[in-house]
Amino acid sequence: MNLALMFAITATLAVASTSASAKGDPVEGKKLVYTCTGCHGIDGYKNAYPNYHVPRLGGQNEQYLVNALTAYKKGERAHPTMRAQAESFSDKDIANIAAYLSSIGTEGEK
Amino acid sequence: MSRLHSTKTFVMSTHLIAAALLLALAGNASAKGDAVAGAAKAKPCTACHGTDGNANQDQQYPRLAGQYADYIAQALQEYKNGERGNAIMKGMAAPLSHQDIDDIAAYFASQPGKLHDLSHMKK
Repeated sequence: MNLALMFAITATLAVASTSASAKGDPVEGKKLVYTCTGCHGIDGYKNAYPNYHVPRLGGQNEQYLVNALTAYKKGERAHPTMRAQAESFSDKDIANIAAYLSSIGTEGEK
Repeated sequence: MSRLHSTKTFVMSTHLIAAALLLALAGNASAKGDAVAGAAKAKPCTACHGTDGNANQDQQYPRLAGQYADYIAQALQEYKNGERGNAIMKGMAAPLSHQDIDDIAAYFASQPGKLHDLSHMKK
């Protein structure tokens, strides 16, 4: 009985962790997102030369965030700061960041 | 007494100048794009980004509703000039004039949406 129970728990954990890594883990993502708040966490913060607001990221679509960060990482988007940031992330980091950013509601913390 | 008075006048006039500058800047920003004209020009965008710019149908496309207008305009310019490589968006942005881009950006920025900054994380 104990063996069966342990097997069930192990199997459940394995399934849970597999699905988390495939889809992105918002808890892991949150740890990485603190750096992003340097620019994206200041209401009205602007990029310099050219001068425009850095985008709002909270509540953005998950797959789009993965696409955008991957594009910076591969150099398909030119922004120097974002390229440098994205180059330091693994594909898994990107999935986790996207999972967290897309999960947060308008009132901030969920 | 008169020195105090002139200091006060100076401080007040500095405030007035600052207020006038802010108003001029705000006027400039809103004068850039016309959201009403943008609504008509944004029709092709809605196939992927949704009629209201919320892109609820497909997670691969960004939500545009409530995004900063100048960021949307910047992104469109980058797709147009090749600083962002995306085959679909390059094709969409290519025929747009500066004014078209500003109008479309103003339209999506004016739509209610779920986007917000990350300032809650700093509290």
